[in-house]
Amino acid sequence: MRFLRLLPSDLRESIEGDLVEEYARVRARRGVLRARVWFWWNAVRLAALFQWERGVHGRPLPPIADEAPQRITFVEGLRQDLGYGLRMLRRQPGFTIVAVLALTLGIGANTAIFSIVDAVLWRPLPYPDSERIVFIGEQRPKEGRLNGPVAPADYLDWRAMSTSFSAMASATDFALNLTGGVDPQRVRALAVSPAFFDALGVSPARGRPFAAAEEDPGRSHVAILTDGLWRGAFGARPDIVGSRVVLNAESYDVVGVLPASFWWPTRPQILVPRAFEPDERTQRAVHMFPVVARLARGVTPAQARADMDAIGRQIAERHPDTNRAHFPHIASMREIVVGETGQSLLALLGAVVLVLLIACANVSTLLVARATARRKEIAIRLTLGAARGRLIRQLLTESVLLAAIGGGCGMLLAVGIVSATSRLLPARLLMLPGLDRIAIDLRVLVAATVATAGASVLFGLVPAFTASADRTASALSEGGRSGGAGAGTRRARSVLVIVEVALSLVLLVGAALLMVSFHQLTRVSPGFQAEHVVTMRVTLPLARYREHSRVVGFYDALVERLQGVPGMESAGAVTMLPFSGADQHANFIIENRTAESPFPVRSRPMSVTPEYLQTLRIPLVRGRYLTPRDADGAPEVVIINDAAARRYWPGEDPVGRRITFDFGRPRWLEIVGVVGDVKHRGLDADAEPEMYLSSLQTMVVGSVRAMDVVIRTSRPLAAVAPIMRAAVSELDRDQAVGPVRPMEDLVDESVAPARLNLWLLVAFALLALVLTAEGLYGVMAFLVTQRSQEIGIRMALGASPSRVLRLVLRQAATMMFAGVALGLAGAFGLSRFLASQLFGVSPTEPAIYVAVCIVIALVALIAIAVPASRAARVNPLTALRS
Amino acid sequence: MADSPVPNLGEFEHVVLLAVLRLDDEAYAVPIADEIARCTGRAVSRGSIYITLDRLETKGYLRSRLADPTPERGGRAKRYYTLRPRAVEALKESRRALVALWRGLEGKLA
Repeated sequence: MRFLRLLPSDLRESIEGDLVEEYARVRARRGVLRARVWFWWNAVRLAALFQWERGVHGRPLPPIADEAPQRITFVEGLRQDLGYGLRMLRRQPGFTIVAVLALTLGIGANTAIFSIVDAVLWRPLPYPDSERIVFIGEQRPKEGRLNGPVAPADYLDWRAMSTSFSAMASATDFALNLTGGVDPQRVRALAVSPAFFDALGVSPARGRPFAAAEEDPGRSHVAILTDGLWRGAFGARPDIVGSRVVLNAESYDVVGVLPASFWWPTRPQILVPRAFEPDERTQRAVHMFPVVARLARGVTPAQARADMDAIGRQIAERHPDTNRAHFPHIASMREIVVGETGQSLLALLGAVVLVLLIACANVSTLLVARATARRKEIAIRLTLGAARGRLIRQLLTESVLLAAIGGGCGMLLAVGIVSATSRLLPARLLMLPGLDRIAIDLRVLVAATVATAGASVLFGLVPAFTASADRTASALSEGGRSGGAGAGTRRARSVLVIVEVALSLVLLVGAALLMVSFHQLTRVSPGFQAEHVVTMRVTLPLARYREHSRVVGFYDALVERLQGVPGMESAGAVTMLPFSGADQHANFIIENRTAESPFPVRSRPMSVTPEYLQTLRIPLVRGRYLTPRDADGAPEVVIINDAAARRYWPGEDPVGRRITFDFGRPRWLEIVGVVGDVKHRGLDADAEPEMYLSSLQTMVVGSVRAMDVVIRTSRPLAAVAPIMRAAVSELDRDQAVGPVRPMEDLVDESVAPARLNLWLLVAFALLALVLTAEGLYGVMAFLVTQRSQEIGIRMALGASPSRVLRLVLRQAATMMFAGVALGLAGAFGLSRFLASQLFGVSPTEPAIYVAVCIVIALVALIAIAVPASRAARVNPLTALRS
Repeated sequence: MADSPVPNLGEFEHVVLLAVLRLDDEAYAVPIADEIARCTGRAVSRGSIYITLDRLETKGYLRSRLADPTPERGGRAKRYYTLRPRAVEALKESRRALVALWRGLEGKLA
C-alpha cells in the first residue's frame, strides 16, 4: 500500500476505495492471486501516473494514448515537441547553460578558425590561375636558407635563359615620400619589372601597365596607384591617369590605377618600375629582391624546376666566385607568403577540433546522465501507452534543439572572432592572403552542429531507450536494488570521460610546450639593449641628395642635433635596422684567401654612423668601435660581428685582416673590431655574419640615403617623437619621416605571432580542462548517487567513511589513469606537429609531460572532491530507505 | 480557449462527460469505467479515467464531492462527479454540431 501514499491527498481516499471495491470484484471472478497482482499493478501505475501528472510534471501530460495521439498532424506534433523540449531545457537551467556553452565554444571556435584557415591556406590567391604563380629565390643549402633574395644580374640571366615561364618579374619593397598637390606622406612602394602584371595576371582598372621600355633608368619615372591611394590621397580624381605626382622630390607620370581587388602581401600603395642602372645589370654579389613568375601553359612545376636548375648550374660555372654556393629555388606563391604561419594555423585547427570533440563528449555525458534520470518518465509514458516513435521523435527534437541553440550561438561567436581577427592580428601576420575575404564557412558551421547533434543523439537517445525497453514496474521505481543505470550506460559515461581526459591532456601538453617555448624565446637577448631606444626611418630623395657628401652631411647634422637635446644619451643611424624586416646580403672576398671556403663568403653589410653600435649597446668583443675619424680620406675600415669571425676566421684574430665587397676593382677594407652578435631576423633566428661599415666613407655597398635613426634616451616616447621630427624638418623642410617607434616594440612585434598562437592554444587548453573537470564531476556525482544504496549497505555493515572514500576515489582514479595513458600516447604522437613552432624546448620534454599530468590530476581531484565527500557522508538509513 | 464557442474537449473527455451524465447520482470512477466499457465496447485504463476526471474538474466541467465511507470499500469514501452547466453546454454544442454533420449521411454509411 506504500505506493498509494504517492497519490495526491485529495484523491487518495476515493481512489483507494475504488481499488478495494474492484479488488473484491476481480477476486470473485479470477481468484486471490490474480486479484492481488491486479491491485498492485494498478496501485503502482496510478501512483506513478499522479506523481508525474501532479508532482513532477506540474501540468497535464502531452496527449495520452486514449486521446488518439496518432491523429495529430506532423506540424502540430513538432510544435508540441519544441514547446516541450524548450520547457525541459528551461527546467534545468544548469544543464542547459553548461551544454549550450560547451556547444557554443566548440562550434563557434571551430567555425571561426576553419573559416580563417580556409581563407588563408585553401582558397586560391586572388589572381587568375593563381596556382601557376611561383616565387623564385636563391637557395643556400649550406646555410639552411631556402628562399633568399636574388641578385640583379642573376635575375636578368634567368629571365633571358628560361623557357618555362610566360612572365618573370622582380618586386622590391621600399618607401617613398609622396608630395606635390597632396598631403606629404610616406607611402609603401613596390618597384616591379614591367612583366609583374603579366606574372600575376592583373591589369590596371584605369590606364595601362608599365611598358617594357620603362625598365630603363631614363624612362622609369612612371607610377601606378593602388585603388586605396587613389581614393585616399587623390579623392578618386577621374583625371588621375596622365597627371603627375611627386615621389622623393622627383616628378612621376601616373599611367594607371589598380583595381580595388589587387592584393600583394606587403600591401603596397604605389607601384613604380624597377630600373636597372648599367652597373647593377652585372651585379651578382648583392642580393636584393624576390622574383615572381608565372608558369607557361603546359609547363609543370617539376619541369620549371629542372629548367631553372640547369640555368643555375650554367651561371655558377660562368661566375664561380659569386654563384657557386647558391641555386634557384622555386616555390608556390602561397608557400612563400604563408610560410610557417600555415603550420601554426593547422596546429590551431587541430586544437580547436579537439576542443569540439571534448565539447561533444561533455554534452554527451550530460545527456547520458539526463537520459538515465528520465528513464522513469519514459517508462511511465510508455506504460500509459505513448507511441514509441512519438517519444523518440520528441527526444530527438530535444537533442536537435540543444544543438541548434549551440549552433546559433556558435555562429554569433564565429562572426565575432572573424571580425576581430584583422584588428587583433599582429602586423607581421597582416601579409597573409585572404584576410579581407574571410567568410563564415556555413558548411563548417552545419558540419560542427550536426556532429554535436549526432553525438548527443547517440549518447542521449540510446540509453533512454535501453531503459524504455523494460516496461516493468521496477523501471518505474528508480533506484531499485539493481542499481539504476545499466552497465552499458555507465560504461558509456566512463569512456566519454576517459576520452575527455585524454584529449585535454593532448591540448595541455601543446599549450605547455608553446608556453615554455615562448618563455625561452623572450629570454633570448637580441644582442643589444632595446630599452630606452627610439627609432625613426628617414629616406632622403635621390633628387636632392645625389652626392654622398650631402647624405652624410644630413645624417651627421641630424645625429649631432639630437645628441645636443637634454635627456638624449646618444644617437646613431643604420641602413638595416634589426627587427625591421630590412635584410640584404652581399658576397665578399677575403684578402690572400685562396683555399676554397667551406661556406659561401657572404654577410649582411650595414652602413652605420660612428655612434650607432654604442647607442644600441652592442658589445665590443675585440679591437675598437668606429669613430668620426673613419671618414673619407682615412683608411677604409669595417667592423664584423662574432658570427662572421667564427665562420670566416675560426681560431684566428680577424682584426687587421682585409676584405672587399668589390669584385671588379678591389678596395680593401680593414677589420678594426669585432662586436657581439645581433638577432637581426628575429629572436628565434640564428645570428648571421654581419659587417658594419662607416657611413662617413664612400659607400661600396648599397645606398645610405635611407637610414633608421636610433636614439637612446631617458625621456618618454611622447616627448621624444616631436623633437625628432622637428630636428629633421629644421634640416630639410620638405623631408617626410616614418613613424617614431620604440625599439622594444620592434622586438616585441617579432614575437607577436608566437604570442598570439600561444594565447589561443592556452585558451583552448583551459577550455578543454574546464569542460573535462565538469565532465568528471558529473560522472562521479552521478555514480555516487547511483551507488548510494550500496554505500549505505556497506556503511551499515561497518565500512568506515574513509573506506567509502577510497572506493569512490579508486573508481575515479581508474578513469583518470586510462585517460592520462591514452592522452600521453596521443600527445607524444601529435607533438611533432608543433616541433617547427618550438624554440629551445624538445616536443617530447619529459618535465612538461609530468607537469601536465600533475595539473590534470589536481584538477580531477578538485572535480571529484564534492561527490567523494558526499559519498563518505551517506547516511546508511536514508540510503536504504530511499 | 475556454471562452470559445467550440468546446475544447478531447474525444476521451467527451466520452467521460457522457458517462457521468448517464450515471446521474451514481457517477464515481468504478461505474464510469464500467459504463464506458459497456457502451463503447472498449476497455479503458484506470489511469486515463482518473487523470481525465481530474482534468475535467480542473477545467471546470465537473464538480466532485466525497460521500460517506462504506465498509465494503475498507471504510473509504466514494468521490461522486456531477456535470457543471458549462459541461452541459459543451455537450449540447458538440451534439448539435455532430447531428448537423450526420444529417443526410445515414444512407451513405448504411
